[in-house]
Amino acid sequence: MIEAANLTMKYPDGNIALRDVNFQINRGEFVFLVGPSGAGKSTIFKLLTRELIPASGTLKVFGRSVAHLKGKQVSLLRRNIGVIFQDFRLIEDRTVYNNIEFAMRAGGSSRKEIKKRVPQLLSLVGLKEKAKSKVQELSGGEQQRVGIARAISNRPALIMADEPTGNLDPQTSLEIINLLKDINFKGTTLLVATHDQQIVDRLQKRVCYLEDGQLVGDKEKGAYLRVL
Amino acid sequence: MFFRNLPFFIVESWKGLFRNGWMSLASIGVVAITLLLLGLFVLINLNVQNWTQAIKEEVEIAVYVEEEATEAEKNQLENSMKNNPDIKKVIYVSGEDAMDRLSQQWGGQADIVEGYDNPQDNPLLSSFEVQAEDPEEVPRLARELEGLTGVDEVIYGEGVVEDLFAFTNVLKLAVMGVMAAMAVTATFLISHTIRLTVMLRRKEITIMKYVGATNWFIRWPFVLEGINLGILGTVLPLAIIYFAYQEALVWVEENLYFLPPMVPLYDALHETGLLVVPLGVALGVMGSIFSLGKYLKV
Repeated sequence: MIEAANLTMKYPDGNIALRDVNFQINRGEFVFLVGPSGAGKSTIFKLLTRELIPASGTLKVFGRSVAHLKGKQVSLLRRNIGVIFQDFRLIEDRTVYNNIEFAMRAGGSSRKEIKKRVPQLLSLVGLKEKAKSKVQELSGGEQQRVGIARAISNRPALIMADEPTGNLDPQTSLEIINLLKDINFKGTTLLVATHDQQIVDRLQKRVCYLEDGQLVGDKEKGAYLRVL
Repeated sequence: MFFRNLPFFIVESWKGLFRNGWMSLASIGVVAITLLLLGLFVLINLNVQNWTQAIKEEVEIAVYVEEEATEAEKNQLENSMKNNPDIKKVIYVSGEDAMDRLSQQWGGQADIVEGYDNPQDNPLLSSFEVQAEDPEEVPRLARELEGLTGVDEVIYGEGVVEDLFAFTNVLKLAVMGVMAAMAVTATFLISHTIRLTVMLRRKEITIMKYVGATNWFIRWPFVLEGINLGILGTVLPLAIIYFAYQEALVWVEENLYFLPPMVPLYDALHETGLLVVPLGVALGVMGSIFSLGKYLKV
């Protein structure tokens, strides 16, 4: 599903964000991306959604090299990747329902589909009762649930979460990560960048270690701290 | 895709307009002033054209015959003019006819011309009243007639026609200059207003990009917002023109009654609207395109 070969990313200021990174993620996998800030986690996400274009090497998503996509193909790629953010990135002055509706509409769904799917999504993330609440009235955990509902609304094959629990307390973090686990269990591939040791250690999933732009470890059933 | 989302685009475009109330108002104002100027110019131009046409049709050339010309010479002159393809009509006015006309014109004071009505004492020359096929050709034709034998003098409404044309041309240049400047300002203000909406909605735009909205899905509400501003900017000038023109019609009829009739209200509105509305929309579209290019690169 994702194939990185000698992936290198250089920013215009000369800063090398990734160097010769190689990895492969298969359909249905749950992968943690860990490493200190500035190690290149965000860069990988931006390359996957084609906000950035690799300086050299190739990055293939769904079998196609992202560097060669243009215009509408980029939109279609993004519809197939659900993104979850640390700061949720919801439209605060709109309702929970509107936030998901908005994303589905932008993703090209019909009104009929939206009407049918939004309530399903809300009950899946446990927010059925909050459909009409404004996002700003919700707790952080609830907001992240809306973020998750939005991320899966267009039925993406891949979900990327960038520090999804970074702004949440440990108990809520656990609930959120369990929700992600459920989504993965139903077949969606998950790529989660995190600093949350407790969660990585508890889930016992594949862990990729990034350091200074290089992939320094890749371990099935890994723990947060890399054991050489 | 476009029509399915059209209601959404329209709602979003109006929201944007109200969110930047003051900037929107400023943009609408400048569009309105630009279009009002254009509208007024169109109206003036329409009427000047109307008047020039009427005046031109009345322009005649008076060809005065030399006093000592013989009958044969007069006949020859008349024939050569009648055979001229550029001349529509030739009427002979003898000195006596001219004197009769003059005394008629003086009416009650006809005694002024008394004493001249004796053919020997008549100081008025015989003349031909010549109408040209093409009024624009009058000056050239007049010069041509001047060279014929037996002609004493050629007179026509020299200057009037040329002055009218010169006036419209100067007006056209001035209005076009001012309008160009106003149009640039209007485009700039509209693009600035839309840029503000783009800024306010940066977060939504980012989200739209992440969930795979196409460029045009993101752009349409902004383009429509520009069109809204442009169309709203046409309402005021058209309303002003509607009411002001009615007043002008009445005023001109009362005070400038010697002028030929003005273009009727609905013809005038139709002509103005045909220019003003598309231009308003065009300004709106231009304004939004200028603001989008940079900010909405996905």
